[in-house]
Amino acid sequence: MTSARGPRLEFAVGAFLLLALASLLVLAVASTNGQFGFSRGGTYELTARFTNLGQLRPNAPVKIGGVTIGRVTRVDLDPVRFDSVVTLAVEKRFDEIPVDTSAAILTGGLLGESYIGLSVGGDLEVLQPGEEIAFTSPAVDLMQMVGKYMFGGGGEGADAASPAAPEAGTASPDASPSDEGVLP
Amino acid sequence: MTAAIRSLGRAGMFSLSVLRASKPTTDFFTELVREIYKIGGRSLPIIAVGGAFVGLSLTLLGYRALETYGASNQVSVLIGLGLYRELAPVLTALLFVGRAGSSIAAELGLMRATDQITALGLMAIDPVAKAVAPRFWAAVICVPLLTAFFCSLALSASWFQAVQILGIDNGMFWQTMQDAVDFRGDFLIAFVKSAVFGGTAALVASYVGFHAEPTIEGTSIATTRAVVNASLLVLMFNFVMSAFLFR
Repeated sequence: MTSARGPRLEFAVGAFLLLALASLLVLAVASTNGQFGFSRGGTYELTARFTNLGQLRPNAPVKIGGVTIGRVTRVDLDPVRFDSVVTLAVEKRFDEIPVDTSAAILTGGLLGESYIGLSVGGDLEVLQPGEEIAFTSPAVDLMQMVGKYMFGGGGEGADAASPAAPEAGTASPDASPSDEGVLP
Repeated sequence: MTAAIRSLGRAGMFSLSVLRASKPTTDFFTELVREIYKIGGRSLPIIAVGGAFVGLSLTLLGYRALETYGASNQVSVLIGLGLYRELAPVLTALLFVGRAGSSIAAELGLMRATDQITALGLMAIDPVAKAVAPRFWAAVICVPLLTAFFCSLALSASWFQAVQILGIDNGMFWQTMQDAVDFRGDFLIAFVKSAVFGGTAALVASYVGFHAEPTIEGTSIATTRAVVNASLLVLMFNFVMSAFLFR
């Protein structure tokens, strides 16, 4: 029985295994970020201090001009100065970042993830591994900004609009006397 | 209470004996090929159809939920992460339990009922090595591969639904998925998970069948218990592994 069914059975099993492995490969290439992890370790570390991290988390991207050059590896709080200290792992081939480069915590889109954007400076001296990025700007709290706009900066406009409201409510169509009052 | 602990211990000793009985002999590989065909190859249709429909409905669900936030073109993030992290390993394992676990339990239960297991022992052939170990390893090999099939069918179906019917941009669909799905953190873990689920399902089914009452009724009870216990164990292990493996 085994000899009669053997070759066909083995062919079927072989085809099944081949097909499955092929679909694994296609899935891995087509639907993942391709971090296959073979060339790991080609990074060096930089640190940066921020007063406010916002939603920044470990593994967030580090970008220059929109291109990802590394990842955030660690987020910590300085127990003395109460600054948040962020450790960045930057790819080895980007090893000529000037010392006067500034780091900012930015957000992709209105609801997107936080990332660190580096604005490259012009100094000839280059950041060495382990050094700190001196110029940083903290995360922008969107809700705080909206609040400031609504209750602080918008006050003047609201004052100007409020006297107009009762006028419009009481008067007929020729309410604003300045320019249209002469028409009817 | 002591009975429960004792039966747990018996199941653990049975699992150990399966591992100890797996020796790479010619006979083992012949059996392994046959079992891969029987429980892997023959499960393909149900996995493929199941995956396709899961992909379709998941896309509809994600589209509906994300539409609220105007982010419906990010639906492939939900599909990719949802499939790899939870749905594909779990649903494949559950379909596998229903399709192959029941047949493993029924086969071994009938072997017990017709005294074939005793006969193997009398002929100095280890019944665990002959009948259980090939099934266990076939399941460990097959379930990750079936999960791959499940994923590819689900992704294809979801691509069809999202791009061809709902009108999401094709490039957007693939790019957002590639940005969201991490190769090691999501993709590899899906297949580690499904290998564990396959081994669990096969061990539970063969344990229950191997120790079934040697009657017709015993076989039917064993089949039922195999499906119920294996499904519950898969769901529990899934939670534990999700909690520990994903960041």
